[in-house]
Amino acid sequence: MGLVVVLLGVATYLIFIRQPVTESTQLGLDLQGGVSAQLKGTQTGGGKVTREEMELASNLIRQRIDRLGVAEPDVRVQGDDQITVQIPGVENPEEVIDIIGSTAQLGFYRVLDSEIQQGIPQDKVQDARTEIEEDLKDDDAFQDGDAKILFEESPIPGGGGRYVAGYVLNKTPDMTGDAIRQDGATVEPNPTTGKRQVSIQLTGDGGGQFGDLTQEIVSEAAPTGQPGLLAISLDKDIISAPQVTEPIFGGQVSISNDGLPEGMPEDEATQLETVLNTGALPVSMEVIAQNTVGPTLGTASLRSGLTAGLVGFALVLVLLLVIYRALGLVADLAMLIYAFLLWGIIVAVPVTMTLPGIAGIVLSVGVAADANIVIFERIKEEIRRGKTARTAIAAGYEKGFRAILDGNATTLITAFILFALSSSTVRGFAVLLVIGVVVSMFTAIVVTRALLGLLSDRGVHLPPGMMGVSKKSIVGQQRVR
Amino acid sequence: MFPNLDFVGGWRIWFAVSGALLLLSAGAIGIGRLNLGIDFQGGAQFTVVNAEHQPSDEEIAGALPSGIDREAVLVQTLDQTGYEVRTPVLSEGERRAAQDALGEVFGVQAGEVGVTNVSAAFGGQVRNQALQAVAAALIVIVVFISFRFEFGFALAAMVALVHDILMTVGFYALVGREVSLVTVVAVLTVLGYSIYDTIIIFDRIRENSPTVGYNRRRFDEMVNTSIRQVVRRSIYTSVFSLIPITALLIFGEATLADFAFALLVGIAAGTYSSIFIASPVLALYKAWRGGRLRSPRTA
Repeated sequence: MGLVVVLLGVATYLIFIRQPVTESTQLGLDLQGGVSAQLKGTQTGGGKVTREEMELASNLIRQRIDRLGVAEPDVRVQGDDQITVQIPGVENPEEVIDIIGSTAQLGFYRVLDSEIQQGIPQDKVQDARTEIEEDLKDDDAFQDGDAKILFEESPIPGGGGRYVAGYVLNKTPDMTGDAIRQDGATVEPNPTTGKRQVSIQLTGDGGGQFGDLTQEIVSEAAPTGQPGLLAISLDKDIISAPQVTEPIFGGQVSISNDGLPEGMPEDEATQLETVLNTGALPVSMEVIAQNTVGPTLGTASLRSGLTAGLVGFALVLVLLLVIYRALGLVADLAMLIYAFLLWGIIVAVPVTMTLPGIAGIVLSVGVAADANIVIFERIKEEIRRGKTARTAIAAGYEKGFRAILDGNATTLITAFILFALSSSTVRGFAVLLVIGVVVSMFTAIVVTRALLGLLSDRGVHLPPGMMGVSKKSIVGQQRVR
Repeated sequence: MFPNLDFVGGWRIWFAVSGALLLLSAGAIGIGRLNLGIDFQGGAQFTVVNAEHQPSDEEIAGALPSGIDREAVLVQTLDQTGYEVRTPVLSEGERRAAQDALGEVFGVQAGEVGVTNVSAAFGGQVRNQALQAVAAALIVIVVFISFRFEFGFALAAMVALVHDILMTVGFYALVGREVSLVTVVAVLTVLGYSIYDTIIIFDRIRENSPTVGYNRRRFDEMVNTSIRQVVRRSIYTSVFSLIPITALLIFGEATLADFAFALLVGIAAGTYSSIFIASPVLALYKAWRGGRLRSPRTA
């Protein structure tokens, strides 16, 4: 009994005192609103990804979401090739999905040919693209080999419409993001001119590849008299296409824009840095499932779940009292302690409450009531056989326990299977069912027993009627009559 | 309780009742009444609560962007001001446009429109995972019961379980509720619950079993007695579980109500099957095996 009091004390502290009670329980995004998405990764070019690559990709996604300043994203690798992203309480779900959905595939290409249109109004961008594409498709460079066309599109500073450029490129990147060291891109001023530029540190192999690539660009461009271009792409968009004036060996690259007084514009430089750092991974991501819950919907779900839980719980308490009288009172007390301990554990772990989680709790209320019923029915049976309340209680526990153990073991088995084989929504249910079943066994075995022991030790007389046993059903009494 | 009911001897009646219901369920599934949700076949679902306007189904479908197949749009009313709109799988752009359009037609902010968008591939994966989970649970439970009891008990429990699962899914098809991931969870829960119920009865049979010798009349009578001893508990437990579940059905929103419905059917079926299916099957299996063991000696 002392243990129970201590546990109740701890639960009270965790739920009410450590923080305001309204903040104690972590709500899932289906109850407070938010975004979740399931992403599937594939090797660029179609191969299978490894778990390590996915772990790396999930770190990058987390970093990107963190940059948005959103509270506590939950990014997890599931299986070998999937990532689950959950962001509760988000205000701009669209932006978040854009960011996580566009996990970048960084590529470097030698530009075979290009065409640029400037000052295009927003609503004419699509027309410009089509026009450029048709022009470039007639091009020798496109028709000769295995080539593709990618576009760059950006606003011109000062409201001069948009800049649209199409590039003819080899179908596969000449160099991928692999070549860049982790966090190898930085925005910094040029040491000599002081103008803003983006410096890139390449890996050993990457330095060699880049040297070869730039060498090729320069020598191929030499006959035309025009400087060669290096296109940097993120998935299907060209982010930047700087000119290459000389081959660059040694693994140190900088991209600058010397035409402007300050060097590269700050936002462009920051974006390029982010792209280069987070895109340095050979994995393409696809959003295969996505779920957005508005805050009103979340609150409505929470309210309906709570109402259902409380009404159900109250009815169970009343019915226990009606059927088992004094024993029912004990059971009710045990059930209340059960509910409180369960809440304490949910806060302590902490378990995030979701809708399936509420369902798990509601179900475990039934399980908890059942543990009491199994034992009480056994006690009543012993009393009908003419035993005293005290021996009946002892026998009831002894015999009822085995059935409860086997029964709960099977419930736990299904819960564990659910946990192991299912997606995160179902896991919330499984986790709460397991906790609920374990706590219910604890309260039925320890709490109810201690309370009943307390009653019979104090010499409180429990006539059969008070335990819900009718007099005439008792074997001894029948014989007297 | 039920002092004169012959649980074992009346097996033909109990099996016939179940058989008829199962036939009805199988029929409902057979004619394609099973309403698979987007979790399983992919698609998009938009949820609106506290809608300002109450547009008609045609108005809602008409408001959606033109690329979406109108025929495939499904509108469900949740309550006075709540709606669920289901469409085939949407691209990111279509999804966004549809969300804005629905926000407008219902008079709520686009950000307040809840969206679930599931690709067909992911749906397939969910379906496989679900089937795997159910299969794995069944196997583990057979092993567990064989280990704690004996094989005959496991077999009987299995028959009862399959009965409960078919019944739950069949009733789902009958009323045309949407089968989602949550339904699978419910089925697995029913599985755990039904087995629990069955085990409580089997535990009593095990306790009452004589240690040596098998005699059909004696064994069947013992099973009847065991059921009588625990049937009150079975019914009370079902009632106590069904109370909170009914509360979920009444007060819970769509997902919770679907879950509650599956549990309601499943637990009712489970209680019936532990008493009227599992126990007679056990007795019949024992009789069959008893007969088989003896026949070589008589021959």
